[in-house]
Amino acid sequence: MQTTRIKRFSILDRGFHLFLILTFLIQTATGFSRLFFPTVWGKNLNAVFGGYETSIFIHKWVGVLMIWGFIFHTLYLLTRIDWKNLRSSLFGPDSLIPNFQDVKHLWQRILWFFGIGSRPRMGRWAYWEKFDYWAVYWGMPLLAITGIMLMYPVAASNYVPGWTLNIAVLLHRAEAILAVSYIFIVHFYVGHLRPSSFPMNEAMFAGSIPMEELEEEKPAWFDQLKNEGKLETIKVKPPTLVYKIVYFIFGYAALGFGVYLLVNGIIYSRYITLH
Amino acid sequence: MRNMIYISRTIVCIISFALLAILLLPALSLGQGEEVTSYINRYKQYEVSTNYSERYEVRPSQRSPLVRKFRSIDREPFAYSSTASSVRNRNLLADSHRGVKFYDNRRCEECHVNETHDIHTVRANITCRQCHGLEPIASINHYYSPMNPIRRHAYVCAKCHEGSSASFASYVIHEPAAGSSSARTGFPALYYSYWFMLVLLAGTLTFFIPHTILMGLREMFGRKKDK
Repeated sequence: MQTTRIKRFSILDRGFHLFLILTFLIQTATGFSRLFFPTVWGKNLNAVFGGYETSIFIHKWVGVLMIWGFIFHTLYLLTRIDWKNLRSSLFGPDSLIPNFQDVKHLWQRILWFFGIGSRPRMGRWAYWEKFDYWAVYWGMPLLAITGIMLMYPVAASNYVPGWTLNIAVLLHRAEAILAVSYIFIVHFYVGHLRPSSFPMNEAMFAGSIPMEELEEEKPAWFDQLKNEGKLETIKVKPPTLVYKIVYFIFGYAALGFGVYLLVNGIIYSRYITLH
Repeated sequence: MRNMIYISRTIVCIISFALLAILLLPALSLGQGEEVTSYINRYKQYEVSTNYSERYEVRPSQRSPLVRKFRSIDREPFAYSSTASSVRNRNLLADSHRGVKFYDNRRCEECHVNETHDIHTVRANITCRQCHGLEPIASINHYYSPMNPIRRHAYVCAKCHEGSSASFASYVIHEPAAGSSSARTGFPALYYSYWFMLVLLAGTLTFFIPHTILMGLREMFGRKKDK
C-alpha cells in the first residue's frame, strides 16, 4: 500500500536526534549509577558500566561529546536561518520559535480536551513540540556548564568563587532529573503511547509522515504547503521494510531502557539527595 | 544536496579555524593555580602565604558564602552579664571542644550528625580526622587553625586537590540541607537555587503530565466528537 508521504525531517535532523537518544540514554544510565550508588540497584547498574569509577569516566567524556553535538547543532541552526528574510524566518510558520499563536493554540486545545470548542489547527510545529525542543535546548548548556565546572573544579574555582561548586552539584542533579523525568514520561507518551502515535510515531525515524496524518494532525501546515505549491516537492517514498524493522526495534529498545531507568529511579528515589 | 554541501563545508571551515586557533594562538592558561583576580588581591594572598605581614593586613577576606554575622539574636538570651553574652561564640577557641563532657570516649558522629552525609564523607570515604586533624581541634576561625579560610586550601584541600586556591576552599564541604530554613539564613544562594529548581521541576511536570493525559484521553474517547 503506497500511501503518499510528506518529508518532515531531513537526514541530518534524524542524525541529530539519534545522537541525542544515544548520548542521553548513556548519560542517564551512568549518571543514575553514580547518583543511586548507595542502593542495590545503583550498584548493579555501576557493574554494567565497569564500576563506580568507570561510570564517571564514561559520563564525563560522553558529556563532552554531547557538548560538541550541541555546538554543531547550533551551527546547523544558524545555517538553517534564512538571513536575508530574517523576520519571516524567525517568526514565520516554519520557525521553532514560540509565538502568540502557540499560546492561542494551547488555550484552544485545553478547551477542546474538555469538549468545549473545536480542535485547533496546528502548524508545522505544535506548541508542545516547540516546548520539547527548547526545554532540551536550554537544559543542555545548564548541564554542560555545571558539568564542566564539576569536571575541573580547581580550575573553575579560579574563575568563579568555589562555593558556586555547591550550587553546580545541585543544579546538575536537579536539571538532570528534570530532563529525565520530562523525556521519559511526557515525550515517550506523546511519541509512543498516545492513540494517534501508537505503536510508534515514526516521523523522527522514517523522516516522513503519511498524508492522512499530515491532514489530521497538522492541518494548518497542510494548507500552507498547498498555498505555496510545495506539496509536490516534498513527497517522498515510504521507508523500506528492513529500515522500518530496524527502527522499530531500536525505538522500542530505547523506550524500554528509558522506562526501566525511570521506574527504578522513582522506586529508589528516597535514598538520594539533590546535593 | 547543495544545501548539505554548504552546511558541511561551513562546519569543516569552523572546525579547522578552531583547531588552528588552538594550535597557533598563545596557550590559554587555566590560571596555573593562581586566581584570576586583581594585583591587589594576589599581593594580599602572597602576603598571607608567606605569613610575613602585619596583623591588620591579613584579616581573613569575606570569601565564605555562609552568613556568619554575629547578630544580637545569636547571642545567649539569658547571659550572666552583657559581656558574657558574647562569650559563647566558640569560633575562636584554641580547643573547640573545651568543656564538652566525656569528650574522650565519644565519636565525632555522635554529636556532629549533620556533617556525616555529604559528598566528601559518603562518596570519597574520608574520615573526620583526615581533614580536621588530631586533638586538640581548634575552632575554625582561630588564627592558627589549619582550617582557617586563610590557609585551608593549602593545608587541607591541597592534600587531595592539587593546585587548589583560596577560592576553591570556599566550597562548603558540610552543606546544610538545601531546602531547610537554616540554609535560607546561612547559605541563601543554595537555598534559592534548590527551591527554584524544585518549583521548575514540579511546575513543568504538574502542567505537562495532566496535559498529556488529557491529550490521550481525548484522542481515545473523543473520536466521534471530532470534526
